Amino acid sequence: MIKLENVTKVYKGDVVALKDGSFEIGKGEFVFLVGPSGSGKSTLLRLLNHEEGPQAGRIYVAGKDIGELSSWKIPYLRRNIGSVYQDYKLLPNKTVYENVAFALEVIGRPRHVVKTQVPAILELVGLAKKRKNYPDELSGGEQQRVSIARAFVNRPLILLADEPTGNLDPATSVGIMRLLDRINRTGTTVVMATHDRSIVDTMRRRVIELDRGTIIRDQARGVYE
Amino acid sequence: MALNVGYVGRETWHNLGRNPTLTIASIITVAIALTLAGVARLVSEGTDDLADKFRGDVELIIFLEPEITEEQRRAIETSLDDNPEVREWTFVGQQEAYEEAQELFKDQPVILDLLEPEDVPTSFRVEPTNPDADSVLALRNIYGQEAGVASVESATEAIRAIQELTRQLNFGVFFASAISAGVAVLLIYNAIRTAMFARRREIEVMKLVGATNWFIRVPFILEGMVQALLGGLLTIGLLLGLNRVLFQSLADNRYFELFENFDFTNATVISKSLVLVAVGAAIGALGSGFAVGRFLDV
Repeated sequence: MIKLENVTKVYKGDVVALKDGSFEIGKGEFVFLVGPSGSGKSTLLRLLNHEEGPQAGRIYVAGKDIGELSSWKIPYLRRNIGSVYQDYKLLPNKTVYENVAFALEVIGRPRHVVKTQVPAILELVGLAKKRKNYPDELSGGEQQRVSIARAFVNRPLILLADEPTGNLDPATSVGIMRLLDRINRTGTTVVMATHDRSIVDTMRRRVIELDRGTIIRDQARGVYE
Repeated sequence: MALNVGYVGRETWHNLGRNPTLTIASIITVAIALTLAGVARLVSEGTDDLADKFRGDVELIIFLEPEITEEQRRAIETSLDDNPEVREWTFVGQQEAYEEAQELFKDQPVILDLLEPEDVPTSFRVEPTNPDADSVLALRNIYGQEAGVASVESATEAIRAIQELTRQLNFGVFFASAISAGVAVLLIYNAIRTAMFARRREIEVMKLVGATNWFIRVPFILEGMVQALLGGLLTIGLLLGLNRVLFQSLADNRYFELFENFDFTNATVISKSLVLVAVGAAIGALGSGFAVGRFLDV
């Protein structure tokens, strides 16, 4: 599903975010990206989403070399990748329903599709009763659920999560992880960057560890350290 | 790539209401630019026929000196007969000239009192074959030299002056409208950029979720065009108003026969304005096109 071949990413000022990284992630896998701040986790996720391009190496998503994609095809790549962030990135003047519906509307899905899909996904994430609330009326955990709902409503092949539990307390984090796990079990590949030691240790999934841009560990059923 | 028309329409309508001051400023600027252009067109149309009208009335008047001899007079008559550039001529004698003068100055009794028949010059009224300025000028030069001729007058100078004046007037107004059109484009550009900045969160999410570039752009371009089109509608209103207030009164004015043709019907004004509305749409598209093009890249 995802394959990196000798990928190097350098930012301005000669900051090496990723150095000659290679790995392969199969369909339906659940992978943690761990490492200290600045180790390159977020960069990796941005490369997968084509928000950035590598200086060297190739990136394959669902078998396609995304470096070779013409720019008008990139939106279609992104429709197959759901993204969840630490700051939720919700639209403050839209309700929960509207925030999730937005993801369907802007890719041109007709109204009847929106009307069926959105309630279903809100049910899945456990927010059916809050559909008319605004983000500032929700707790952090609820906002993240909305974000996940929005990322998943289009049934993407891949879900990328950049420190999704970063702003949440341990108990709430567990709830979010259960949700991600459920989503993973439907066949969605999940790649999650995280600092959260306890989550990684509890779930025992594949762990890819980064240190200053280099992949130093790639372990199935791994722990944080 | 189904573009949900309802969505786009709703979004555009909603966006227009976000920053009303800026929106209104754009609309007014477009209206000013288009109104100037419209005035230029109407003025040029009104004065176009003008030149033709005067051309038809062109007449050369050869004023004769009071001391002119019979011989000299007949010499001129023969010359006029033989000249192919002269279509027709008549002689206006003392009495006739005096009566004409009395008519011309009937509102000015002071002059009438002083006027004696001997004071009014006799003249030949000559209708040229070719009413254009150069031919008339040639005739003037010929007869100006003849013995017994005091002066030769024609309206060509006046026509030339009018033509030159209207040309410059047209140019001036057109130039002003071109500049204000440029300003309108800039203002719409700015209005759309502001709108884009205000919606940067939405735009970020749209890109993340996989909306195509055009899906993101179209509402902004529409917003710019709607502003410009509203400006166009305002222009139609302004031009109709100007027509009523300015042009009609010029046309009705007895003293300024010049502006006789400024009697535009509402229908004429409106039909001329439709082109302007199209130009307005172009201004809107240009301004917003530049705005989205530069700042929305995947």
